Amino acid sequence: MSKHINLTLKVWRQKNQKEKGHFETISAPDISTEMSFLEMLDVVNEKLTLAGKEPIAFDHDCREGICGMCGAVVNGRPHGALKGTTLCQLHMRHFNDGDTIAIEPFRAMAFKIIKDLTVDRSAFDKIIQAGGYISVNAGGAQDANALPVPQDKAELAMDAAQCIGCGACVAACPNAAAMLFVSAKVSQFALLPQGRPEAARRAIAMVREMDRQGFGNCTNEAECEAECPKQISITNIARLNREFFKASFGSAVK
Amino acid sequence: MLLDGKVPSGPIKEKWDKHRFELKLVNPANKRKFDIIVVGTGLAGGSAAATLGELGYNVKAFCFQDSPRRAHSIAAQGGINAAKNYPNDGDSIWRLFYDTVKGGDFRAREANVYRLAQISNHIIDHCVAQGIPFARDYGGLLANRSFGGAQVSRTFYARGQTGQQLLLGCYSSLMRQVAAGKVTMYPRREMLDVVIVNGHAKGILVRNLITGQLERHAADAVVLATGGYGNVFFLSTNAMGSNVTAAYRAYLKGAFFANPCFTQIHPTCIPVHGTYQSKLTLMSESLRNDGRVWVPQKADDKRPPQQIPENERDYFLERKYPSFGNLVPRDVASRNAKQQCDAGKGVGSTKLAVYLDFADAIKRDGRAVIERKYGNLFEMYEKITGEDPYTTPMMIYPAVHYTMGGLWVDYNLMSNIPGLFVIGEANFSDHGANRLGASALMQGLADGYFVLPYTIGGYLAGTPKLNPATSSPEFEASERAVQAQVNKLLSIKGQRTVDDFHRQLGLIMWEYCGMSRNNAGLEKAKGLIQNLRAEFWQNVTVPGNEKDFNQSLERAGRVADFLEFAELMIIDALERQESCGGHFNEAYQTPENEALRNDEKYCHVAAWEYKGTGKAPELHKEPLVFENVHLTQRSYK
Amino acid sequence: MNWLANTLTSSIGKKLLMALTGICFCTFLSVHLAGNLTLLSGSTMFNSYAAHLHSLGVLLKVAEWGMLLLAAIHILTGLTLFYQNWRARPQSYELKKRAGGRTLGSATMPYTGILLLAFVIMHLLNFHFVDKSQTTIYAIVAAAFAKPIYVVLYVAAMIVAAIHVSHGFWSAFQTIGANHPKYMPLIKIISLAFALAVGFGFGILPIYISMGA
Repeated sequence: MSKHINLTLKVWRQKNQKEKGHFETISAPDISTEMSFLEMLDVVNEKLTLAGKEPIAFDHDCREGICGMCGAVVNGRPHGALKGTTLCQLHMRHFNDGDTIAIEPFRAMAFKIIKDLTVDRSAFDKIIQAGGYISVNAGGAQDANALPVPQDKAELAMDAAQCIGCGACVAACPNAAAMLFVSAKVSQFALLPQGRPEAARRAIAMVREMDRQGFGNCTNEAECEAECPKQISITNIARLNREFFKASFGSAVK
Repeated sequence: MLLDGKVPSGPIKEKWDKHRFELKLVNPANKRKFDIIVVGTGLAGGSAAATLGELGYNVKAFCFQDSPRRAHSIAAQGGINAAKNYPNDGDSIWRLFYDTVKGGDFRAREANVYRLAQISNHIIDHCVAQGIPFARDYGGLLANRSFGGAQVSRTFYARGQTGQQLLLGCYSSLMRQVAAGKVTMYPRREMLDVVIVNGHAKGILVRNLITGQLERHAADAVVLATGGYGNVFFLSTNAMGSNVTAAYRAYLKGAFFANPCFTQIHPTCIPVHGTYQSKLTLMSESLRNDGRVWVPQKADDKRPPQQIPENERDYFLERKYPSFGNLVPRDVASRNAKQQCDAGKGVGSTKLAVYLDFADAIKRDGRAVIERKYGNLFEMYEKITGEDPYTTPMMIYPAVHYTMGGLWVDYNLMSNIPGLFVIGEANFSDHGANRLGASALMQGLADGYFVLPYTIGGYLAGTPKLNPATSSPEFEASERAVQAQVNKLLSIKGQRTVDDFHRQLGLIMWEYCGMSRNNAGLEKAKGLIQNLRAEFWQNVTVPGNEKDFNQSLERAGRVADFLEFAELMIIDALERQESCGGHFNEAYQTPENEALRNDEKYCHVAAWEYKGTGKAPELHKEPLVFENVHLTQRSYK
Repeated sequence: MNWLANTLTSSIGKKLLMALTGICFCTFLSVHLAGNLTLLSGSTMFNSYAAHLHSLGVLLKVAEWGMLLLAAIHILTGLTLFYQNWRARPQSYELKKRAGGRTLGSATMPYTGILLLAFVIMHLLNFHFVDKSQTTIYAIVAAAFAKPIYVVLYVAAMIVAAIHVSHGFWSAFQTIGANHPKYMPLIKIISLAFALAVGFGFGILPIYISMGA
């Protein structure tokens, strides 16, 4: 049943990448518990706008948990405390009347803040550019059923391929490492026969690019797995490590 | 003026082959001399940009999101159709072609649809080669499921995230071309104008959404892949950022807008629950395979669903359509739900919902089976509504989902402006008045991977090269106009927010130009829209400044365009005095309340030409000729 | 050999160095523990174990220098990781909560590591770099643990070691890629058991000796 609650928000405000940010306390009265978290922010923004203030900038698009554009650290947890959920899917019924909610952007050296809660995640695109693809041009493919793929392998590949590239793994990692993201893409292709011809080059190139982008090093804290809205497993990280060692010590790729 | 779709002559099966042979080619060494702009990076734009890069062209790709991987194609759940006939159940290119033309209620261009069906198989081949993890059988071969009332299983899928996987495949190909230096990616850019030089589309003007800078980009051709305009209704299953701006600004520059009144309302969405609501979430159509749709027999029944006995329930779809039952096409299911709610039988706190009940299916197959089939959807429903669909019937209501209308294009996917190509949902071409399930992904990828890369070569090879400079007067004028609008929006400083106007526009459109329409309502809506638009330009408030990351300003520009575009939709709906597919005019229905077409007068594409502010747009018609499929009345009894 | 340098200095390469040296230390700890447990059988037994060890002669020297090399790699790589990971998030969160992945061991790795380094230095000064010509090793140990401060320090250090190993052991397997749905639960159990063995096994010795066995 819907009810209305009063909240206090402590929101990170930062005009742009260069200026220093700070927390601003904003009251959010009369919030319906049926709202999504982002709808709550919409309502707050409408009020700020009418009061002549600047609304809170935050990224969002599909609002159904698949585009990966939204995300903030809510009360210390990327995408909020609910498991397997993006911020747009989190609903206000999980909060109580009188709560104070701290909202911060995803923080990492590789994710520069653009404004308020909006961060630049183009480092992820750069990593994919380094090798997160299969080199096949349109038009040259054989019949789709010419290459059978064992069902369990296809399912495992799909588990990894679900990654939405939101960056919560980086935000959650005590070291701001991007290993879960990289491992999901490397695993998807490593598990499929189509991906094998380039597997060695891919693993090495993507790991090097990840390092170049300034992400931290994985220390197997497993916070990424616990926060991933698509619940991608760290077994993918182990697979990435295997692929990387195989490529580094067992292939001719330098 | 009668429009020429430039459909090649000859038997339908040979048209595309023949046309490809007749198209002029650009010499491989010369391709690198051509610049092509692609706006939008969804399935259509992403695949086009990647493929053009592979062919050797210099591509500049633009999107308003922070990365091309976010485009809303990503949210498509169900699957993608192809005429592979792997299940050996009688499918063929011809059958896919026929089903699509019929499903579109005979308002699509036959030759385009046939080509789409032909290409569908290549798409699956290419996507598998890209490493898309489609569902597979134990033997390791690809699995298919049936979808959207089709009588064959031709839908390929990757769990409930087919759109995501196809888009990420596209995105990976695109990133490969970026790495190869053939595509330059411009994310967080919004296209605000098409620049026309000597009558040809030779560039665009974009706003850098981070710095607020206006940027000029010139090229030898411009491709728009900017999606649909469903957000004119404010609430829809589209992403928050989906908009009509790019397409509408091309229309303002002379591109014809075709069939804008053809919108698709999807029957199974989670109902609206409050005025603050920002978007609607689709629940896959596949739910109707096992769920039974019902409402209480008596109006305004306040009992919880479990307390309403079987004999006081009305399973209205099963009652009215005994052979198709709950599996009637989307437009039929949607209209029937609305009729029940209009009669006061709706359920839930807003009375704008019907039940989708799995109790019988759970009793029959056991909870485990239902969980395996729909577990993720049930979970999503519970996340949003806080109710458990295993024990309480789901509540669903129709919502705007897809727009079949779009910029007019010929067989080459080129608009009436030479050099301006339009692909994917942004064009009007393949779905007629109603799109079948799992066909949107097919069309987007067909256009981008396999049609546009050929036809754009024909244009480039057959047109003298202009090499327009971004300092030319055309770009100057374009930037001045865009700057003026930005300044105007920021200077009004009124009393109402952008979203407030947008929400009101949505209510008007939903009420009068939604699931069912009538002339009086449409006329009324026209006046309401004009008033709202006038108020917008007097009373909107846009905070912040232009040289900044300013999301309110972004939205203000989009809503300004929706406010104008909405009127075009109304004009089109009023002009089309028939019912077909997603366009249902109450004056034209069969005794069983089905859409009643008027093939004598309206078997054409209605393409509208902008004639200037305050002037009525001019209608151009492209007659639709059906040589291979007989026009019939759709029946799902 | 550029490729080798590139591999080992990459983020995964550094983890590999930590994992391999870590596994070596775990092996060493096992052997060391087995040897030390002879203390429980009294001075004769322990002294004869020490004598056997020293009779290995040059082999022992190789082992010692090898251990030193491993330690250098483990410590330097660890410090590099610590620094880089600290730098990867220039501005920390105002409020950050765990989601359930982090453990006491994983969260404290760099700190327990530094404490262990300090302990190892003290330990070597206590029992390795001492004049053993006039006495037996058992006598030195007994003399040391007669002072309560050493008992406390050693027991505390062994708790720290147990915490360090509780993450390090399974983490090494994850790093070398040996994560398998069938065997990983077992590795995690062994990891915990090993940590307890290290903590209790080494930890009871100072107490046992101080009680004047």
